[in-house]
Amino acid sequence: MKLSDLLGLRVSTESGEPLGHVHDVRAELTSKEARVTGLVVGPLGVLERLGFGDPRSRALARSKDIVRWSAVVRADRRGVVVRDGTTPK
Amino acid sequence: MGDLVFNAAAGAVFGYQLLWVVVVGVVGIITYSEMCGRVAAVSKRAVFDAVRERLGYKVGLVALVAAQIVNLMTLAAEVGGVAVVLRLLSGLPYRALIVLGVVVLVLVIWALPFEYLERIFGYVGLCLIVFAVAAVKLNPDWGAVARGFVPSAETGDLLLYCYFAVGLLGAAMTPYEVYFYSSGAVEEGWTPSDLRTNKANAIIGYGLGGFLSFALMISAGALLLPHGITPDFLGTVALMAQSPLGEIGLFLALIGMLFAVGGAALDVAFSGAYSLAQFFGWEWGKYRQPTGAPRFTLTWLVLFGLAGLVILTGVDPILVTEFSVIFSAVALPLTYVPILLVANDRAYMGSYANGKLGNVFGVVYLFVILVIAVAAVPLLLLTNLGQG
Amino acid sequence: MSRPIDLALGLLDHQVVDCEGRRCGKVDDLELAGVRDGRPVVAELLVGRRRTVHVPWDAVAKVDSAVHLKVRAAELRLGRGDDRVRPWFARLPLS
Repeated sequence: MKLSDLLGLRVSTESGEPLGHVHDVRAELTSKEARVTGLVVGPLGVLERLGFGDPRSRALARSKDIVRWSAVVRADRRGVVVRDGTTPK
Repeated sequence: MGDLVFNAAAGAVFGYQLLWVVVVGVVGIITYSEMCGRVAAVSKRAVFDAVRERLGYKVGLVALVAAQIVNLMTLAAEVGGVAVVLRLLSGLPYRALIVLGVVVLVLVIWALPFEYLERIFGYVGLCLIVFAVAAVKLNPDWGAVARGFVPSAETGDLLLYCYFAVGLLGAAMTPYEVYFYSSGAVEEGWTPSDLRTNKANAIIGYGLGGFLSFALMISAGALLLPHGITPDFLGTVALMAQSPLGEIGLFLALIGMLFAVGGAALDVAFSGAYSLAQFFGWEWGKYRQPTGAPRFTLTWLVLFGLAGLVILTGVDPILVTEFSVIFSAVALPLTYVPILLVANDRAYMGSYANGKLGNVFGVVYLFVILVIAVAAVPLLLLTNLGQG
Repeated sequence: MSRPIDLALGLLDHQVVDCEGRRCGKVDDLELAGVRDGRPVVAELLVGRRRTVHVPWDAVAKVDSAVHLKVRAAELRLGRGDDRVRPWFARLPLS
């Protein structure tokens, strides 16, 4: 899966509660690899809603809420689903 | 060209009333380039790297295209200006001089090391100081000059006043200077220890430019306004030095204009090449051999060619200058915003991120830039292209 | 020794530089592996939008404001755009 596929995806819990959209992907950079540790999730900004920028446009300051990857149940083109009770921190 | 045209025109129409706008513009360009220099020294990345990183590919491409269009207009204006001054000096036909000017500029840039070019264009361009001497010799009402530094609008045509204010700010804060400056900083390998030099460079360099702008406006206010002359031709601008100082004044003015405008052409062409190369990740650099940065080289060559073609159509270089200044005001936010964001990003800049004072200036000028970006085109149209 | 990094902010659209300091494109996308197995990592850098070069992650030496590679651009077929234009100037004097 490409990063561009992940960015902008809708994030919701198993029971359908919407948590926002994927703004960025948090990873841990070591000498061997860049391992994904979580997702930066936030609300879709005003400009994106107007179709102005793409969700990768980092021009708008966003709250940094991280959802740990261990809470992710499924991630595909339809969206990201996380376990119930997960709240971005 | 923008400075020559707008400062002289503003002086000819409004006398000394817009001098305070020049101050605002100079402080603005110092703020903008200091931030860019700091970002370049700390992150080793130039303006269009930051544009692409912060805006992403798609939105960043809009900023790039806008910048290239404005750059091309500006380059056409500078090339036209060079041809006009050459004609004033030699009497040879204008069209031939356009081609000659472009060819000579390209050859000189290709063959000579950049350090020499910068020095030649820079030092000979200083002949423009003749306008400062002229301004004094014209014996303006210094009281009125002093009052010009205080914002006031005691004139009838408010719309035209605003148009000139926008034009002066746009001419003072032309983005190409900033792309050029930040690219130079990266290429010369500036580090945080160079930051003090960065601030000094910015203040002295642009301060000198501001001083020249004052000289142009004061001369125009003292000489052109009383006679109802507007500087529709570069020759009229040169007249401001000839009238008080005679033939030597005229000669120095023309030589100064030739080298200052020629130097600007060089900077604009390279800025266009920098922007493209930095956005797409190509090799770039003014100190490089052409084969060391092929696509970068190709870009500035093509830009010169296109600019030459635009001016060969016979369009008035003064008119092109007006449009280039107005449209660069419109495009300015697209590159200012990413830089302001990067300059504030502590993860990127560490302890060198904008402090409180830096942000006061940064945000105040963001506001100024947004206002002139929105007002520029309406004012251009409402004032009938600055004719009032 | 490890540090956290945000992939879109810290890698995407950043300059790629080879081991000789040559600029050779921007990171246009990243290929992530293991998204389905629950242990996702960055597998490749995708450089170039039309003629995309897949740069394996183990070719990466260091990440700061740019992505620095362990190898020369030519070995990965990067920087081909410049290679294509260079011959146009190579025969001219003072190039």
